Amino acid sequence: MPLPFFLILLVAALLLQTSVLEVVAVAGVKPDLIMLVVVLNGFLLGPREGAFLGYIGGIVEDLFLGEYIGLNAISKLAAGYLAGVAGERLYKENIMVATGVTFFSASAGLLVNYLLLFYLGLHVSPYYALLRMALPTAIYTSLLAPFIFGRIFRYFQVRSRDF
Amino acid sequence: MGWVTAKRLFFLVVLVAVTLAAMRVTIPEPARLTPLGSKFRDVLAPAQSGLTWLSRQARHAVTLPVSMYGAAGRSQALEQEVERLQNEITQLNEYKAENQRLTGLLNYKQVMVSKYDLLVASVIARDPGNWFATVTLNRGSRDGVRDNMTVLTQQGLVGRVITVSNTNCEVLLITDPRSGVGSLIQETRTPGIVEGTVGSSGMARIIHIPNDAQVAEGQVVVTSGLGSIFPKGIPVGRIASVSAESAGLFKRADILPFAGMNQLEEVLIVTKVFPEATITSPAGGG
Repeated sequence: MPLPFFLILLVAALLLQTSVLEVVAVAGVKPDLIMLVVVLNGFLLGPREGAFLGYIGGIVEDLFLGEYIGLNAISKLAAGYLAGVAGERLYKENIMVATGVTFFSASAGLLVNYLLLFYLGLHVSPYYALLRMALPTAIYTSLLAPFIFGRIFRYFQVRSRDF
Repeated sequence: MGWVTAKRLFFLVVLVAVTLAAMRVTIPEPARLTPLGSKFRDVLAPAQSGLTWLSRQARHAVTLPVSMYGAAGRSQALEQEVERLQNEITQLNEYKAENQRLTGLLNYKQVMVSKYDLLVASVIARDPGNWFATVTLNRGSRDGVRDNMTVLTQQGLVGRVITVSNTNCEVLLITDPRSGVGSLIQETRTPGIVEGTVGSSGMARIIHIPNDAQVAEGQVVVTSGLGSIFPKGIPVGRIASVSAESAGLFKRADILPFAGMNQLEEVLIVTKVFPEATITSPAGGG
């Protein structure tokens, strides 16, 4: 995916994340669209590209928020990298595999985020952090994977045919 | 390890180290919004406001297909007519609900006129993630909003203003893990600190309650007025459960805030507190 297009997608995801997604929040939990875009791209492109796109996606989000700059960058770098590693070892053409990878990569990214909060001096109870936030967010985000994975996969297929 | 791999690893380590340092440097301080950040927010605010309005309309429109599901036997024309009327009713209900909410806020404002100067504001955006709980309001420094002003609804405390730009401001909700509110349990006058849990949970908790204090489910927590940010006596929430802290010396209790943090649409900003301002009975105490 060309970087400018990826950046436009990120800004669109951010605007949706701060406004429209409030409506579809389940028990207060919103899906993480940026994580979803990063993980699926990482899954299809490989660990290096996944880590790079994860870092870019996260840093854009951090700059948008204007605080704790790097928090999302590192957690999404980890998620993108893991998705890339999974993509090298697993069958890529299956939506269920992509959904599972999204769940595990997003969970790992959110876990890194949680650990970084300690580094920043923010102590969040494990019950609330893991069971009320990280796990539901990873599930919700991965449930959206089947809806956009096909599009991204086809895009990469067409591009590889063209070049 | 090859030379290329070592170089990549070195680059990664440097990148992570620099990012970790940047993270520390950018820990938010009260009243810290750069001019660039302020402009950025002002520019994005109309887009966020528009999208929020659109999504609220969409939420009401989505209920329509569900209500139409059982009407399979009806004619197409009738269905369209029902759809049109349903749309109209939904829209009218939305106006009605908005009217009721605003009337409630206005009544509350009139009741509280001897205690506070209140400014009505609408929520135009929320924190994009689930960890933190902040909202952006459509009032800024040009409306007289300043840092650390208290934000509430007629049900109870919402949070405090942390950053202000010209046209909007950001509010740290009491459910944000960075929030701390000096509070006390209304019935027993037991003091404690209400801190946030995690943004998406919509819950807060009161910590450092002495072990011998009488704390029970259903008790009301109000602000204590200590710490000078929040006026005394604002209803915070109701105790949902009580448990022991891990050290064993204190108890803590989960609190369900009176103001539903996940459904905030309009709020009130306390722009001025008159001396001896204290709310005696909590609203939304059902």
